[in-house]
Amino acid sequence: MKKTHIVGIVIIAVAIAIIVSTYGNSSTYATFAEAKETTKELHVVSHLVKEKPQHYDPIKDANYFSFYAVDNKGVECKVVFFGTKPQDFEKSEQIVLTGGMVGSEFHASKILMKCPSKYTDQGSDLKEFSSAPKSTSL
Amino acid sequence: MDIQFVGEHLLPGKLGQFFIVLAFGASLLSTIAYYFQTVKDKNDLSWRQIARWSFRIQSVAVIGIIASLFYIIYNHYFEYNYAWSHSSKTLPVEYMISCFWEGQEGSFLLWAFWQVVIGNIIMRTAKDWEDSVMTVIGLSQAFIISMLLGVEFFGHRVGSSPFILLREAMHDAPIFKDPEYLVKYITDGKGLNPLLQNYWMVIHPPTLFFGFASMVAPFAYAIAGLWTKRINEWTKPAIPWALAASMVLGAGIIMGAFWAYEALNFGGFWAWDPVENASLIPWLTMISAVHVLIIFKNTGHSYFTALFLTLISYILVLYASFLTRSGILGETSVHAFTDLGMMGQLVTYLLVFLVISIVLIIIRWKKMPFTEKEESIYSREFWMFIGALVMTLSCLQVIGFTSVPVINKILGTNIAPPLEPVAFYNQWQMPFAILVAVLLGFSQFMKYKKSDTAKFWISTGVSLVMSIIITAIIAYFTLFSGLKTVYGNAFNGSENFNWMFVVLIFAAVFGVLANLNVLSDAIKGKFKLTGSAIAHIGFGLMLIGAVVAASQNKVISINTSGFDYGSQFDAKNKRENILLWKNEPMKISNYTVTYLGDSTKGVNTYYRVNYKVLDEKNNVKESFDLYPLGQQNPTMGLVASPDTRHYLTHDIYTHVSSVPKKETDEEHMEHQGHNDDEEYEKPVTYKVSIGDTITFDEGKVIVKGINRNAQLKDIPLSENDLAIGIMLDVVSNDDHKVTPVEPVYLIKNNAVFSFAKKMDEFGLKFKFVNILPNEHKFEVVMLKKPGKQKDYIIMKAIVFPYINLLWSGTIIMVIGFAFAISRRVKELRATSQGKDKKDKQLA
Repeated sequence: MKKTHIVGIVIIAVAIAIIVSTYGNSSTYATFAEAKETTKELHVVSHLVKEKPQHYDPIKDANYFSFYAVDNKGVECKVVFFGTKPQDFEKSEQIVLTGGMVGSEFHASKILMKCPSKYTDQGSDLKEFSSAPKSTSL
Repeated sequence: MDIQFVGEHLLPGKLGQFFIVLAFGASLLSTIAYYFQTVKDKNDLSWRQIARWSFRIQSVAVIGIIASLFYIIYNHYFEYNYAWSHSSKTLPVEYMISCFWEGQEGSFLLWAFWQVVIGNIIMRTAKDWEDSVMTVIGLSQAFIISMLLGVEFFGHRVGSSPFILLREAMHDAPIFKDPEYLVKYITDGKGLNPLLQNYWMVIHPPTLFFGFASMVAPFAYAIAGLWTKRINEWTKPAIPWALAASMVLGAGIIMGAFWAYEALNFGGFWAWDPVENASLIPWLTMISAVHVLIIFKNTGHSYFTALFLTLISYILVLYASFLTRSGILGETSVHAFTDLGMMGQLVTYLLVFLVISIVLIIIRWKKMPFTEKEESIYSREFWMFIGALVMTLSCLQVIGFTSVPVINKILGTNIAPPLEPVAFYNQWQMPFAILVAVLLGFSQFMKYKKSDTAKFWISTGVSLVMSIIITAIIAYFTLFSGLKTVYGNAFNGSENFNWMFVVLIFAAVFGVLANLNVLSDAIKGKFKLTGSAIAHIGFGLMLIGAVVAASQNKVISINTSGFDYGSQFDAKNKRENILLWKNEPMKISNYTVTYLGDSTKGVNTYYRVNYKVLDEKNNVKESFDLYPLGQQNPTMGLVASPDTRHYLTHDIYTHVSSVPKKETDEEHMEHQGHNDDEEYEKPVTYKVSIGDTITFDEGKVIVKGINRNAQLKDIPLSENDLAIGIMLDVVSNDDHKVTPVEPVYLIKNNAVFSFAKKMDEFGLKFKFVNILPNEHKFEVVMLKKPGKQKDYIIMKAIVFPYINLLWSGTIIMVIGFAFAISRRVKELRATSQGKDKKDKQLA
């Protein structure tokens, strides 16, 4: 067997591994009901329930913010985010939450907020807020 | 009937639009003329004259477009959509340049400008390559300028012009029925995104776009080579261009990382955001292309790989602009451009260049040199080739992953990004980085074609042993207890440790040592490899800096005093923000931190935070202030930029995450049935005379006197009206600061109004409700918000250890590139002069 063949085989193997890990391992966007079923962390696409109370008291704890959100199936759930309350949270059109259920609360480690855009009348701005530390290294 | 609009300046826009059409037409003409010059009779140079002149006219026209747009922005002509959307009257002149890259149209303009520069350089220097290479560049230029056209062809709009008027962009809005809309309604623009108002944002995008634009040069040489059947020759002039493109794009990417670190508050320099990835993808393939081109030049091996990588790099530049500009990233990226409806046009551009490349490869396939001979395992080219392949694979991983939204769109799937994208990328990219670092080390001990085996193992062995020792020292200071020099003695081990970091540091150290070896030879007189050695050393240092700064950075503002929600959360969610009361020091890590107040400059508020290091006897060893910036943007909320204290060994990075909303000082007119008193405690009414004092928890209020000529904003007073202000001084107990407040009592048209005034620092509100002439007293109502209402900020502080290794490594790498380019250009000149001589001798 020639060296180039060995190199070729190794490369094909790595390429397949990349594709499998990107597309095989990935999740789809979930709902609160699905989050209840599993202990794994998920992405949930939801909307803020503007009528329900939000709790953020920076003087007591600057890293605790809770609110109610409703997912695409219409299920409502209390969400706790361990970070500061994003500014203009009320204006958000859509919130993508990353996290998992703890008891009856959804504990979010990341919030991706979609707000009406400043720049275009149709488009939207996205903002990301994270409570967990950004992961390590290059 | 046409409406005659008042106050519009239509000339600069018409002129700009004319320049766009001229530039488009001239670049097309130039492409066609160069095409015919390439395929037709070489003795007749008339086509070349046409081509050159139309490219020059096109160059002037592009400058004209830029000048017209700048004139519009500079003069605040908000009747133009671009000026209205991206600038405002308060925008400083130096940031008006940044307006050019906030919008898509402006950034295409920038790209066109750099392509003009590159085209003119090639026109002067390319000699017998001019015609064919410029055909490709002209075509690329025509495509880019078509993005600015904004003209309809058969009901389909091509491009988006920056000279569209506001009333054309939003023609349905009712205000544009009013001929005086500009004077009446459009008084100011929407302003530039505050995050772009940063000096790094003035130089980062031009550098990045210069990098993108210069990628066209090696591509054009490759296409020209295939087209004109100079299958091998194109590689020589392409090498310096490929090096230049890698250098400029690399510098642009790093400037972006530095901007992110200095101006954005995500707490880092690289986040694997799709937009960042889009710039990294073509860089990785171009770097691989450079290496394989050099292999081909030295050994004649790997022709097809060199060709493929050169071509794919520019295709990937186009793919990257498709990703960031078509709006397809929408859900996943925080900072892609929004869609302007040009997806079709972008895809066409990409496909045309892809098809040209594929067709030419197929046609010339039989002529390409494929070597049957195997490279020796002890040859430099073999390992360089492997290194290039590793980088291509790393690029493949980034592409595969960034393209998830594209796959979702094509296949209609709904694949979500992974929960921890950063960790996911790192997991993949770290092994690639380790392999590349090792390869760039030991291949330097080899020679092209065949090396001396024994000699190779001796020098590699020596470097390996030395690397182990040096890695141990570096790892001690950057990953283990040595971090105490940065974090202070309280530091007890890092929780973010992974053995892969040690392996990566070892690989990078080995790479640096091996290249230092080459560099020392270079000083002895073998100058040839200076550039590559320096660039490789820089790359190695950059890897060490990146892995240490990104893995060992620590949030030091951990909240210890906060309300306890139970220990179950603490392990997973560290409470990384702290609340600082004004003037109340707090200890975080080995610093004593105090928030000292804010100051406002224009739209920005700077929060002054003092850091002190105290020794055991409470003596101040060190004291400095940081001014993290917060901007209360009406549409974007709080836009925070960090401030960073730089040391040789580490940085202290601080940003505000939340601040109390600033109340405006407007006078609040009390209407019946509506009030905002609900947030206050019960109002207390005081009957006071001049000189009286009212006390409250944090201070006192002194009645200074009466103002009989009180003025009210927006309310004209007639002679029969009576407006009286009561002058109060609020004095703080802490620092005896005096804040004057003047609520007003107004009788207008026989109705009584009371204008309340707020004093936000202590959460106070005063109303002047009655005058009691008989008692010589005044009735004042004081309201107070519950709890302490002192000023505070919530902030986050992160220490980045050894981040200077990252920045210095990148600077060294760029210097190395510059050396390498100058060497290759000299070589090229030498060979072409040699050829000229031969030609003369033949003649």
